[in-house]
Amino acid sequence: MNDLAAAIAAPLADVQESPKIKVRDVHFYYSGVHALKGVSMDIPEKQVTAIIGPSGCGKSTLLRIFNRIYAIYPKLEATGTVELDGENILDPGYSMNRLRSKVGMVFQKPVPFPMTIFENVAYGIRHHEKLSKPVMADRVEQALRSAALWDEVKDKLKQNALGLSGGQQQRLCIARAIALKPEVLLLDEPTSALDPIATSRIEQLVEELKSEYTIVIVTHNMQQAARVSDCTGFMYIGELIEFGDTEKIFTKPDKKQTEDYITGRFG
Amino acid sequence: MQVTRAEQPLARDIDKRSLIDARHDRIFQWVLKFCALLVLATLLGAALSTLWGGHEVLFGHSLHFLASDAWNPVTDDYGALAPIFGTLVTSVIALVLAVPVSFGIAIFLTEIAPTWLRGPVSAAIELLAGIPSIIYGMWGLFVFVPFMANVEPALSNTLGQLPLIGQLFQGPPLGLGLLTAGIVLAVMILPFISSVMREVFQTVPTRLKESSYALGSTTWEVLWDIVLPYTRSAVIGGIFLGLGRALGETMAVTFVLGNSYNITSSLLMPGTSISSSIANEFNEAVGIHRSALIALGFLLFVVTFVVLLVARLMLRQLAKREGK
Repeated sequence: MNDLAAAIAAPLADVQESPKIKVRDVHFYYSGVHALKGVSMDIPEKQVTAIIGPSGCGKSTLLRIFNRIYAIYPKLEATGTVELDGENILDPGYSMNRLRSKVGMVFQKPVPFPMTIFENVAYGIRHHEKLSKPVMADRVEQALRSAALWDEVKDKLKQNALGLSGGQQQRLCIARAIALKPEVLLLDEPTSALDPIATSRIEQLVEELKSEYTIVIVTHNMQQAARVSDCTGFMYIGELIEFGDTEKIFTKPDKKQTEDYITGRFG
Repeated sequence: MQVTRAEQPLARDIDKRSLIDARHDRIFQWVLKFCALLVLATLLGAALSTLWGGHEVLFGHSLHFLASDAWNPVTDDYGALAPIFGTLVTSVIALVLAVPVSFGIAIFLTEIAPTWLRGPVSAAIELLAGIPSIIYGMWGLFVFVPFMANVEPALSNTLGQLPLIGQLFQGPPLGLGLLTAGIVLAVMILPFISSVMREVFQTVPTRLKESSYALGSTTWEVLWDIVLPYTRSAVIGGIFLGLGRALGETMAVTFVLGNSYNITSSLLMPGTSISSSIANEFNEAVGIHRSALIALGFLLFVVTFVVLLVARLMLRQLAKREGK
């Protein structure tokens, strides 16, 4: 049924009538710094959206608003609206638990929890669902399979996750995030700490995952953005300069600043 | 001269230099080894000399000393059970009270407290650690004991009525006793445990906590499932540091414990501990009595050693379960 709806909606995707995430006039402040200055964008469903820009431009900040992870620190404030399926997640009434089960996040450096590989994946699921042992084992396997990690770890699920290589750890973090069956996956420079081979595996994985998840990836690697994303937003000093199809942004951007950045004239 | 040599080093000089370097390194390593071995030697010496000093009672009447709760200097009949009992019970009370509070303090200071409050509270805790134990003893005897004498009837009437734990809270409200000593000990070891916890909690990477929050964890879950396992060995180390101090603490305990050689089921009754027995009686002890006190000292060694051993085994067991 959903597939059918998706198939019908597919030709309309370009029109973006109902974006997955609708960002409107978002401002962000921390200790007197105005970090985001009125960002608005539409993030399409089941596509990869890349956010690029020089360091400190606010791209990670924007990503951290999408799951309100910033809210664990005092004195950070976001204004404006971010609608996920039409509901404003910045509304204090929006349940944090629900938000975090719908929006998963993977961080810059791989951060496995200090537990076994199995527990790393099962940990998040337990927060949201009570599952029997076999069902849980199944869910963990599924998640590890989707993160293309299963074959490498199936014999050592009881070992500590810290024994995995960096690239494996990062895929474990992705498995951990998708184990909750989120709708949106936020990737904050997921490959910046990885070697080229591990990086290409993650990129391949992103390509595979987009059929099921809406993915937003922050990256300072422009080639990566060009390779994996469908839409790209270019940010500079807290503002979204330009947003559109990746192909267009990288071949004939409207704004001079975007062109300068893409061609490496600054950044 | 050295300058010219440095400008044009000859092969011979370089050889000489590396020989000297190697010798220096060797000497340095010997010095370090000596320092480390000195600790072992001191420990062994102290253990052996207390063992020798106490051999008369330890090996005198087979295992009478270890199995008896008598303590009679007149008939020279000594047993170590009562002091060991008092030492363990007061230390356990101290841990039971101090560990959760320290955990709370450490969490508050690292996760919740606003920045301006962290400095003053941390400093206050460190000051608490600096107070000499004799001061705690005096405060305990003159302030806390009368207070406990007022509180104890209430304890007997409430907790004392419960099944199972009820008998822990029976008896006359003397103020002095195992519970009072345990509470004073708890205050004394609190700063040690909480400052160790605070320091190790700060070492947990922010991104680890954030990833847990991102999966929907509450603050409590992040602490319990992530922060605590991550810092577990250091936290247990801190707890045993506190326990070690509680086991050996002398002055404060001597003031408030009551010094009677009893083994009672009630925490409100007076008791004695190894170190306070020694402190109380060392002045007038001669002959077998003196030997009995030294033997007690040796037993304190053994108790502390066993406790540390258990801690090690516990850590190993936990690590195994985690798949290391």
